Amino acid sequence: MTIKSNHRIDLDMFEGPLDLLLFLIKRDELNIYDIPIAQITNEFLEYVKLAKDLKLHSAGDFVLMAATLMKIKARMLLPIEAEGEEEIEDPRTELMKMLLEYKRYKEAADTYAGLERDERPHYVNIPALWDPQPEEPTAILENVKLYDIMLTFQYLLKSYEEPDTHSVTVEEVTLSEQTGFLNSLLLAKNSLHFSSLVKQFESRLIIVVTFLALLEMLRSRQIKIKQTKLFDDLIISRGNEFGNQ
Amino acid sequence: MEINDLKMIVEALLLATPEPLTESRVRACLKDEASALPLEEIIEALQSDYNNSNRAFFIKKVAGGFQLVTKSEFEPYVKGLFSKSGKLRLSQAALETLAIISYRQPVTRSEIEEIRGVSSDSSLRTLLDRKLLEIRGRDDGPGRALLYRTSSEFLQYFGLNSVNDLPKLREVEDILSEDQVDLL
Repeated sequence: MTIKSNHRIDLDMFEGPLDLLLFLIKRDELNIYDIPIAQITNEFLEYVKLAKDLKLHSAGDFVLMAATLMKIKARMLLPIEAEGEEEIEDPRTELMKMLLEYKRYKEAADTYAGLERDERPHYVNIPALWDPQPEEPTAILENVKLYDIMLTFQYLLKSYEEPDTHSVTVEEVTLSEQTGFLNSLLLAKNSLHFSSLVKQFESRLIIVVTFLALLEMLRSRQIKIKQTKLFDDLIISRGNEFGNQ
Repeated sequence: MEINDLKMIVEALLLATPEPLTESRVRACLKDEASALPLEEIIEALQSDYNNSNRAFFIKKVAGGFQLVTKSEFEPYVKGLFSKSGKLRLSQAALETLAIISYRQPVTRSEIEEIRGVSSDSSLRTLLDRKLLEIRGRDDGPGRALLYRTSSEFLQYFGLNSVNDLPKLREVEDILSEDQVDLL
């Protein structure tokens, strides 16, 4: 089976395999409750071939779905062995649920697109909302000494009040865990403020381990730390060796 | 304090505030000069002043507070102030990712990808860059994955007053029954 040229669709317009499946179901007016699995598998595979040719970054997701479809197809071909009272689940049920769940959020995404369109013409005095600029801290003290960092840390720790409870719990937090945590935060943000980092932790131990992770990352030049003045917040950003463990 | 004084104070706060102005914020700014009037009433009075005097802006209730926003007819001019010809629009992938997070927050990346069926890394990154999302701690499950939430900027961006104002997500049953009707 080949896709007729007038039916040729840009695969890029699909957000993924589920989106493509929903499109095929809609186009061919198929019943989502009773998907003709053989037909849809064939059509889907045609598109996957196309995706592989195009070397789409999401081709892997399409191939995975193709495998799932073929598995369902195979299971539908097998004779059903009725085992007593047990009801045998339609092998397509899982797929149907996934499609419906995805469809709900796809619709919600359309609603958001509408809201975005409505809000577009209105401007507020917060340019970051629509014109994001990379935030670059204005640092005066570029060369922060270890001692300055220690002082700031003690200062921040003091300002942090431990909740007044007496339960004893084992907190499992490791240096490498916090290193990974900081890494992922820095992947998403250009800079972090130590004070706001600390706020989200429930205990001193986590803060201390996070601080040790910071020192370790600073030593291996994975991060840079800036401070505008003594006792001021520590501003953490990516260093030259960021990402090289 | 006279209503006229209060109106002007609130107007000044509205003009200077970096985020939607809330009742508690106003109270904090007024300090001892406590206002007998609720903020809502002062805002209403201001709003009607603006309506009567033909201003280019109005007060919008958003993200649990109030904000001055420009009227839509001035968009063609205002957008000239910004690079990239005005506001950037979110991609379909980013909108889908945001939709899932908004209804299921806090949520991990793998939960989002399970629903979308595709990798959502770059969408998450875009949304974090634009401050529409926040990272709020970690999951208790294996791997201690990061948990994502929508931010107050998210509410502002979509003109919503609170997360309770989110458009209702359709029930699967509704979609099914509609699809059956489609087939007839």
